[in-house]
Amino acid sequence: MVTRILTIIGFAALILALFVLEFLGRRKGSRIPTLGEWLGYLMRSKTGRALILLGWLWLGWHYFSR
Amino acid sequence: MAADDVPRWPDLPPQEPSRRWRLARPVRPRLRNPALGKAAAAAVLIAYSWFAAGTVPFTISALLIVLVPGAVLAVIAYVRRPKRIPPPDRLDLTGFSYWAIAVGALFEWEASAFKDGAPSWHPALTTLIDPVLGTRPVKAAGILIWLLAGWALVRR
Repeated sequence: MVTRILTIIGFAALILALFVLEFLGRRKGSRIPTLGEWLGYLMRSKTGRALILLGWLWLGWHYFSR
Repeated sequence: MAADDVPRWPDLPPQEPSRRWRLARPVRPRLRNPALGKAAAAAVLIAYSWFAAGTVPFTISALLIVLVPGAVLAVIAYVRRPKRIPPPDRLDLTGFSYWAIAVGALFEWEASAFKDGAPSWHPALTTLIDPVLGTRPVKAAGILIWLLAGWALVRR
């Protein structure tokens, strides 16, 4: 039971970290890019764009079709 | 030749290349009221999300509710491109490394649970989220967020 709670806390902490990074990235003059900025950077090439969009499609399939 | 300095189309003023390019592009019809257009799009997305959330998992309809938006966004991305937000010219490596560490740790945390078969004492994120998505309103909200994320990606 303790390991289950620890696992859940781990997921919550990591997801919270993503939100904190997005918040920090939106501050003026921040060196941390926002999620949109680094995804946009990765999507400059056609391969990167295709991979990111396929990842989005996979997320939808994984959580909503299965 | 003697006629080299005579303009080929004397009636038309000389045009800049950018001007010609703009004229060659098809003109998109503009909505008179953009707010109305956005409200209509939001209504369609909410209705679609609600409908999609009602499908039974592991069926053809459940597969189609994901593939159809994917196909629509692909058509929008390649045929009718929206105005894109320009990407940054460069990324700060240190700043990006924080993201890389957080995303990598999340994947590792998920993979370690997945490797163990996602038992109850070490559940995967999917195992934890599935019961939450069991209710139709929450699943509809999740699908709506997913659709908006897809639109945001196409604009990048």
